Amino acid sequence: MTYAQQKHMSYWILVLPGILVFASIIIFPVLFSFSLSFTTWNGYGMPTFAGLENYRTIISDSVFQHSLRNNLLIVVISVFGQIPLGFLLAYLLHRRMVRHGSFYQTMIFLPITISPVVVALLWNQIFSSSGMVVALVRSITDNPQYVIRIFENQQLAIVPILFVLLWMHTGTYMIIYYANLQKMTPSVLEAAQIDGASEKQMLMRIILPSMVGTIATTAIFAISGSLKAFDLIYAMTGGGPAHFTEVIAIYMYVNTFKYYKYGFGSAASIIIVLLAVGLILLLQYFSRRLERRFE
Amino acid sequence: MKKSVTIGKILAYILMITFTLLTVVPLVWMILSSFKPHALIVRQPLAPPFTFYVENFILSWVQGHLGIYFLNSIVYSLSATFVTVILAMSSGYALSKFHYRSGRIIYGLYTLGLLITVHSVIVPLFIMETKLGISNTRLGVILPYIAFGLPFQVFLATTYVKGIPDSMQESAIIDGATFLEVFVKIIIPVATPILSTMFIYTFLGNWNEFVLVLTLTSDMMIRSLPVGINSFAGGMSRDYGLQFAALVIGTVPMIIFYMIFKDKIAQGFAAGSLKE
Repeated sequence: MTYAQQKHMSYWILVLPGILVFASIIIFPVLFSFSLSFTTWNGYGMPTFAGLENYRTIISDSVFQHSLRNNLLIVVISVFGQIPLGFLLAYLLHRRMVRHGSFYQTMIFLPITISPVVVALLWNQIFSSSGMVVALVRSITDNPQYVIRIFENQQLAIVPILFVLLWMHTGTYMIIYYANLQKMTPSVLEAAQIDGASEKQMLMRIILPSMVGTIATTAIFAISGSLKAFDLIYAMTGGGPAHFTEVIAIYMYVNTFKYYKYGFGSAASIIIVLLAVGLILLLQYFSRRLERRFE
Repeated sequence: MKKSVTIGKILAYILMITFTLLTVVPLVWMILSSFKPHALIVRQPLAPPFTFYVENFILSWVQGHLGIYFLNSIVYSLSATFVTVILAMSSGYALSKFHYRSGRIIYGLYTLGLLITVHSVIVPLFIMETKLGISNTRLGVILPYIAFGLPFQVFLATTYVKGIPDSMQESAIIDGATFLEVFVKIIIPVATPILSTMFIYTFLGNWNEFVLVLTLTSDMMIRSLPVGINSFAGGMSRDYGLQFAALVIGTVPMIIFYMIFKDKIAQGFAAGSLKE
């Protein structure tokens, strides 16, 4: 065997098993799902071609519209809640504004290890009528009749879930930003400090501009994560009551595995991907403009 | 000047302490509640347990079949993680040091994979597995775990191996080593730090995975811990004591895991966004 042959063969031995598993379990099904989305199919017999019918039905469905709104609220709380809070925490830790920073860091990052299902059931208990929140409010306000009514409100039912998502993920962003802040060359900051730059100037002129790329990357994770939000909400409310807390992934799941509308469900899943790609492109457009402005 | 620094510090402490309490208080409440009988949880949610009511743990472990779920979770997480890391590492070596044109395409496909969610493949996957007869089997769970673990791990491995100097590989090749020997004897030992990060990060993801097991299995004997714990929420048990005990069983091992591997987990999350 020549050197070139040996190299070529080794290459395929190394790369082929992975790409085979990946292609057959992800690439092929995505294409399959895409074609199924133009059909009506209940899992038996042959799928019948339906054109854009599924997409049309979904978009005009009020349950879907409410789910989409909930998903967008999750995107908003991730991008404008978890990311700035995570950054703020990381910045305070990095600038050593508190003593025992590593203790706080350990505690705030901890929820990442807990399974979303466990998180969901725990917070359900906290918000339940015999839970911590109700008991605390009752003893503080001296009103033994207090109950949480927020889940009965169509517009606000999602709010407790947004809070739990914030609780779960802020620590992750903190860790990511903290690691990136540690990577910055300290000499730049020291020089600025010697030149008499204030804390605010250093943050706005040096630290934030150098973090734009990282923030944009994490925002991509946040957007795609927000659109596929499922586990936590499924275990917390199942999308209920009366679809108030439903998100697209649950809408898709229910239609597929409860009503056996495979084509319809596939169309919903394609909409998730399209939304993610669309929002990410939009984000990249803005972050590129922002980066240019800092240059 | 001095004053604004102190105010900043006070605000910093308030923020840190608030977030820490938000993590600690619910977990402590959960652990305390797990030692209380149902009636006491409902009547006095904030009271500490007057006795250690361990029956909750025994009953939830037995009735909820948590032993089986625990074992399944270990089997799924360990085996899928092991295979994912090996495949990702070998791909990472091939994609970063061989410079074939196909390498770029393959790397591009993996990058695209980062955007694809479980939900966009779950319907076809379910159909495929049913046709192949591997739905409702352990293999039918492990294979998707591997596939969904790969994109990010290939990314981590490729980035890391790229940073290993070419000279190490070249001198071994000149001495007559094959590329596979280089992989086993040079790349893997040098990449040990990233390998452990990859392993721990992937393990965590697999351990907490929910949707795939929920949809691809229906046989209780092969379901995993998150799905098992979720069944406590439904009609299975109105007994809050059992539910809290199940939550503690699901949480405490992970908190210990976290305390041991915290830095590695943090690295896994941070590595995806670090700029070179």
